[in-house]
Amino acid sequence: MDILKLLADLAETPTDLTQLASRRAALDGLRRVGAKTIAAALPLSLAALPSQAGDTRTVLDSLQLAVRLEQLQNAFYSRALTSAAGFFPADANFRSSIVKMQAHQQQHVALLTRIISSSNGDTPTLPNYDFTGSKNNTQASLFPNVFSNFDEFLRLAQLLEDTSVRAYKAIVEFLVQDNYTLQTALQLHSTEARHAARIRTMRRLRGAVVKPWPSPTDADITIAGRTAVVYATEHATTQLLPAPANTPIPFRLLPIGSGANLLTQSVPEAFDEPLAAAEVELIMGLFTY
Amino acid sequence: MSNNLIKGSDEAEFAKPLYVPIKRRSFFMYAGATAGATALLLSGCDDDDSGGSNSNSVSLGSGDVGVLNYAYALEQLEAAFYAQVIATPYTGITTDERTALTAISKHEAIHRDFFKAAITAAAPTQIIPGLTPDFSKINFADRTQVLTAAKTFEDLGVGAYNGAGALIQSGTYLLLAGKIVSVEARHAAYIRDLLTPGSFSGSDVVNAAGLDQALPVATVLAAAQTYIKETINGDNVGK
Repeated sequence: MDILKLLADLAETPTDLTQLASRRAALDGLRRVGAKTIAAALPLSLAALPSQAGDTRTVLDSLQLAVRLEQLQNAFYSRALTSAAGFFPADANFRSSIVKMQAHQQQHVALLTRIISSSNGDTPTLPNYDFTGSKNNTQASLFPNVFSNFDEFLRLAQLLEDTSVRAYKAIVEFLVQDNYTLQTALQLHSTEARHAARIRTMRRLRGAVVKPWPSPTDADITIAGRTAVVYATEHATTQLLPAPANTPIPFRLLPIGSGANLLTQSVPEAFDEPLAAAEVELIMGLFTY
Repeated sequence: MSNNLIKGSDEAEFAKPLYVPIKRRSFFMYAGATAGATALLLSGCDDDDSGGSNSNSVSLGSGDVGVLNYAYALEQLEAAFYAQVIATPYTGITTDERTALTAISKHEAIHRDFFKAAITAAAPTQIIPGLTPDFSKINFADRTQVLTAAKTFEDLGVGAYNGAGALIQSGTYLLLAGKIVSVEARHAAYIRDLLTPGSFSGSDVVNAAGLDQALPVATVLAAAQTYIKETINGDNVGK
């Protein structure tokens, strides 16, 4: 592979999808090149390698993970919208919010599919979905009434949206090499965060103990060993300064330093944490068969 | 003899390649090339600090430090805004709203202090000073005005982070920015739903491809400038 030609091609950063065709040759190289290979070929040492240094997945793998997550959420919302009358609350804003989210997920699937196709990658075929978590009645369900009990539906929606935010966050770090795909991933990421906040707000309006942002004060809605991974490491109470310092930021000593619950609540709320692909796969695997 | 004279326009044409900022990954290519690498490297360095001699002008700087200062400036603005909201709450604020807005004010202050600490550790001589906010256009007693301003700041922050991601060279800084932007998007969605239930991701911010805004530096600074007394120069952010 001609690394210099690849870099020259990648340096052309289109700002809209109509220029995807011109990137076909460049992205085709990404199909076979992982982060480690790129790093070895480049003359400069990159501080920009993903934190999961042992990860040998490609950019394409990251996009395929993203589209599978979007497919899952699209199917989830689509099924909810075909539920029996009376599933959605009387306040029309609840259903219209789900309509909007489903539309976005469908658009995300279409967009990611186009990007993957333009690099001659394969779009994953749809698996079977069972959002009760029973894997088609082969094991005990996690959400037995997911499409008949609106609050149960919202709980799963929250888990999936928060997972999506954390998944994109990890994917973004992986895309530091590719401006166009990186920016697209960031834009997808923040849209999912808006969804997640809306789901949480809807739950709160219906009496749940929950904030628009993941908080240690949220009532736990996870099941140990099954869905608990959704919030594993999310409520970090420390944030590190980047290398070479690598020391915890002394929030207590900074201007914000005073106030109750600063370190135990406010700091964890102020940052969302990434979730590695393996954990995302675990969560998706609960609802596919 | 006249063939050797360089006309004004030709000279501008000759000079052009030197002033075109080299995109980050082109830089890698040029930096790796053995021939003419030094000349091209130098032409890629734009240390020209055009902050000017105006003492009311603040230059964000260049490269990753420029992006960090950019984020620091916006978080300063948001932190100051919400501090004012909490100090002088709007008429009719509910307990729930006050609790949430207080939490948001803490998040923004934490973000602000986070960037201050990061820039101080990475480039202590290049950190921008504390900025002076100007919220004279906002009537803090009026719920609609306050929440509309909050919505504006949050959407602007999301668009700024999304647009700045590609300017960042360091994967570490990119991840840190990523950890913050989703919280800003949650803020934005919450504020929007306070104003108009269900407007959390309206088509004014999320387009027909389902993509949230990604705004250029110049656009963001033009919008933010209204609320900052100092003149912010972001010409070299990420370059």
